[in-house]
Amino acid sequence: MKLLVAEDEPKIGAYLQQGLSEAGFTVDRVLNGTDALQHALSDPYDLLILDVMMPGLDGWEVLRMLRAAGRETPVLFLTARDRVEDRVKGLELGADDYLIKPFAFAELLARVRTLLRRGNNVPVQTHMQIADLEVDLLKRRAIRNGKRIDLTAKEFALLELLLRRRGEVLPKSLIASQVWDMNFDSDTNVIEVAVRRLRAKIDDGFEPKLIHTARGMGYLLEAPESK
Amino acid sequence: MNRLSLTARISLMFMVAVMAVAAIGALSFKLLTQHHFQSLDHHTLAEKLDATERILGQLNGIDNFEVLRPQLTALLGGHRDLTAIISGADGRVLFAEPQLIDAPGRPPARDTVQTWAWRDGAHEYEGTIRHIAVPYETKPFTVTLILDVSEHVPFFEKLQQWFWAGLLISGVVSAALGWMMARSGLRPLRRVTAVAASISTRSLKERIPTEPVPSDLQQLVSSFNGMLDRLDDGFVRLSNFSADIAHELRTPLTNLMIHTEVVLSKKRNIEDYEENLHSNLDELKRMSRMIEDMLFLAKSDNGLIIPQQQNLAIEQIVERLLAYYEPVAAERNIKLKLAGSGIVQGDVLMLHRAISNLLSNALRFTPDGETIRVTVRSGDESTDIAVENPGEPIPVDQQEKLFDRFYRGDPARREGSTTNVGLGLAITRSIVEAHRGSIWCSSELGRTVFHMEFPHPNCSDGAG
Repeated sequence: MKLLVAEDEPKIGAYLQQGLSEAGFTVDRVLNGTDALQHALSDPYDLLILDVMMPGLDGWEVLRMLRAAGRETPVLFLTARDRVEDRVKGLELGADDYLIKPFAFAELLARVRTLLRRGNNVPVQTHMQIADLEVDLLKRRAIRNGKRIDLTAKEFALLELLLRRRGEVLPKSLIASQVWDMNFDSDTNVIEVAVRRLRAKIDDGFEPKLIHTARGMGYLLEAPESK
Repeated sequence: MNRLSLTARISLMFMVAVMAVAAIGALSFKLLTQHHFQSLDHHTLAEKLDATERILGQLNGIDNFEVLRPQLTALLGGHRDLTAIISGADGRVLFAEPQLIDAPGRPPARDTVQTWAWRDGAHEYEGTIRHIAVPYETKPFTVTLILDVSEHVPFFEKLQQWFWAGLLISGVVSAALGWMMARSGLRPLRRVTAVAASISTRSLKERIPTEPVPSDLQQLVSSFNGMLDRLDDGFVRLSNFSADIAHELRTPLTNLMIHTEVVLSKKRNIEDYEENLHSNLDELKRMSRMIEDMLFLAKSDNGLIIPQQQNLAIEQIVERLLAYYEPVAAERNIKLKLAGSGIVQGDVLMLHRAISNLLSNALRFTPDGETIRVTVRSGDESTDIAVENPGEPIPVDQQEKLFDRFYRGDPARREGSTTNVGLGLAITRSIVEAHRGSIWCSSELGRTVFHMEFPHPNCSDGAG
């Protein structure tokens, strides 16, 4: 997966490049809108990450010209301005997502993966398995090591999210949004408790442990051998 | 005209008014004088005609007319301005003093004195004619009296000159007086201006005294003072807020700096560095969240929080939030109960956030094993949402302060909780106010209730 990061603040750009590269993406980086447009038009990227305020062409201009040239590459905006009209403008121009600075890197990574997944049609799964945990998505049942695990509806939804995006660190805000549909800055202490309770049911008394905490960033589900 | 000063305007208007009054006065004086002169003339003419009639009554045949001439001359000849012409029945002029004047013909008057006026060169005349029956004559004589009224003309000319001069003088004088009066009348306004000009952020406490101000300006001065009150209030809040921000950011910054410096002061193993970075990350997230919350409040202060207007079933929002908080409540064996239903017109995200803050707050102060109740009541004019939890009562004097920024009910706040920086209730209040609602807290007998009241929109679909 090849990404382009256009960010005029060199430090932020470099950190983003490093973080995304370490997450397994190929990342090109430019410092202004003109270069961003040139790169985006000449190379096939899977996703563009554009800062809105850039010298030369701003992010919106780049997006407009890109769409005018018929490129449908998904675009994620980074912006330091949180104004409703800015969001509306970005979304009207065909931006796929936006993040307001300061944002957590885990959040960015999760959004990037969501956007990249959007294009591909993931086959409808009815059954998922990791290590000795089996989950039947139709019957809403989880079985570990042959033992049936009782889960509440929300616990099941949380487990399903972690499973579908196994190996990814999911920030608390993303979990709150996907499982509880809380799309605002809510008390994320709730997520800690909810994950702790799920973990007690899934991992307590079983080996290997599947639910892991990425401290300060979020949670992920993975089996040890896939590390 | 727009740029003219108020003083100039007032003195100009005063001058125009004075001159208009003077002109009306002069005009009426002129008309009155004219009328007076006219009636004097009429009187004279009538007297002369009557006397002439008496003299002619003594006439003993037309041939003896000369007998009467001395009498007639005595009566009619002595006046410089008066011309008298008596003609016989056959039209022959019998008597003309001092000379014959050709008068334009008019029908003779019978009983009353009717006059007519005409002008001949520089002279103005007024004349009257009467037919007088004479003894032994079958037809009446015709008596024509003509008065030369040219003498009046210089009088009226003089009058006019005086009038113009008077108008000019009164114009100048009234302009000067008007200017003086306007200046002294507008003095309170200049005093207001002086105070207004002297006000800066340092002297927002200053007010314009209302006692010496005339009643017309009371309104202006009190609105001005009201504006100063609001500015002062806003400024005080702003400076307190800035001080709070500085203080609140200083603590995590100090943590970050000291911790990082200490860790860097000597070589350590990798776990120590990791620990430091994690702790820094927590602190940074706390700061980031605080900045976001403060920006929200700043926007709401500036009226930039504009809620979308949708009809929302509040009980559904509360249900979702209760489901969200369920794990936390379950861990502490706290029960969450919802009763009632109601509709509020507003912004779905903001209302979630407002109620969420109240629930989060209630959970923090509810003892384990107790129950938090959310009650939604739909009234005729508003929907009331009450979040009630058992816990230590909040003293009355603190109940209002709860909604202030950075106010914390528990002095020993939990450092770990990223939300508890004391902005939650302030945000809730600003959301409620952006929805034109009100929020208050009551606390007694071990129960604390937060009420939010949202007025129904005017349209009928709000009642649900």
